[in-house]
Amino acid sequence: MGLLTNLKDSISRAAASLFSEEDPKRIGIYGPPNAGKTTLANRIARDWTGDAVGPESHVPHETRRARRKENVEIERDGKKVTIDIVDTPGVTTKVDYTEFLEHDMEKDDAVRRSREATEGVAEAMHWLREDVDGVIYVLDSSTDPFTQVNTMLIGIIESQDLPVLILANKIDLEDSSVQRIRNAYPQHETIPLSALEGDNMDEVYDKIAEYFG
Amino acid sequence: MPHQCTNCGRGFEDGSQEMLSGCPNCGGNKFQFRPEGADSSPPSEEPPEPPEPPGGNSTVAKTVGKTAATVRDIVGSDEPPAGAEPADTGDASGTVNAGSTDAEDAAQASARGDVVSPDELPDHAPEGDHQFDPPAADSAPSVEPPADDTQDRPDLQELREELNSQFESVKVLAPGQYELNLMELYDREEYIVALQEDGRYSIQVPEPIQE
Repeated sequence: MGLLTNLKDSISRAAASLFSEEDPKRIGIYGPPNAGKTTLANRIARDWTGDAVGPESHVPHETRRARRKENVEIERDGKKVTIDIVDTPGVTTKVDYTEFLEHDMEKDDAVRRSREATEGVAEAMHWLREDVDGVIYVLDSSTDPFTQVNTMLIGIIESQDLPVLILANKIDLEDSSVQRIRNAYPQHETIPLSALEGDNMDEVYDKIAEYFG
Repeated sequence: MPHQCTNCGRGFEDGSQEMLSGCPNCGGNKFQFRPEGADSSPPSEEPPEPPEPPGGNSTVAKTVGKTAATVRDIVGSDEPPAGAEPADTGDASGTVNAGSTDAEDAAQASARGDVVSPDELPDHAPEGDHQFDPPAADSAPSVEPPADDTQDRPDLQELREELNSQFESVKVLAPGQYELNLMELYDREEYIVALQEDGRYSIQVPEPIQE
């Protein structure tokens, strides 16, 4: 680790100890591909820091490496909550390059994208094991939430005793059903939102402060 | 006994459900893939090949050694997946015979109990193929299996392949086509940083010095 990074870390730690009792919690944004994780990460980062986290796309597996935005300060009721946001690649059990060919991609590019996406999922699963303090689990509320991947991931998160906030994204879509997600995971609170439109973000920030503050 | 508890050395048949809830002997939850014919010495004895890093602490050296051995076993094995029959592996004491395990479900027992005839196997599969390596990638990475390959395969064959692959973290079906075992990826201390077209992958082992 470089001297500058060390110095920066020391300063931010010292600053954090002045204003809060703990270091920023590292919050992983997990979920299946195309649930809107990067859109949400960008929305949070833009709202509170002015920067974006990464490019968004309707093509699955646009995010193929975990991206981090550090020291995002969220202010709620006069209290500051500082978190590091980690945007992760969509977790899936199968990656197939032919899926990308439909999006006007050359075969070589599609194969490379597929390989990178697989590496990204491996990385995201590894991070979940030891590198996150809490999870924001993003689901597309217009699709069936009761999938093997979702059940397994939420199970892993529960077994780690990590605080988890389930977000029902894309409520701006006609087929959206927040209740379907509530029924699938009744043991967790589900917050509806549209990260794209910015709908209900106030409640999302309230809950982030409540769960991870 | 394709799988072995890295803690107490107890062996398990391929597809054994006992492993899923941890080793019944010691409660360990790390298992090493040991194809038939591989050295069956207990995992506490370090394999001679991987050199221990000079001056490194022993835990890290062990982890790296084990990882190297595991990767070597996986990549270097020439055991065909169809050969993993329970009857061939009852030699070691402590081995769990998956065929008689009560907890095993009917589909698994049936898949293991029956043997596919040679003409049911795909023609292009090389003799030395291993479940870890994609059938096409082993000898000719650029050649893909026919698109209808999986549809034409009999159910038993499909079941067997699923059983064989359930403990692999990433299965390369063809270049650009992957199946991921999320629990395996999550459970591993080391993680995959780069996949290669021939079905091998590079891993990142835990760092010796944690900050």
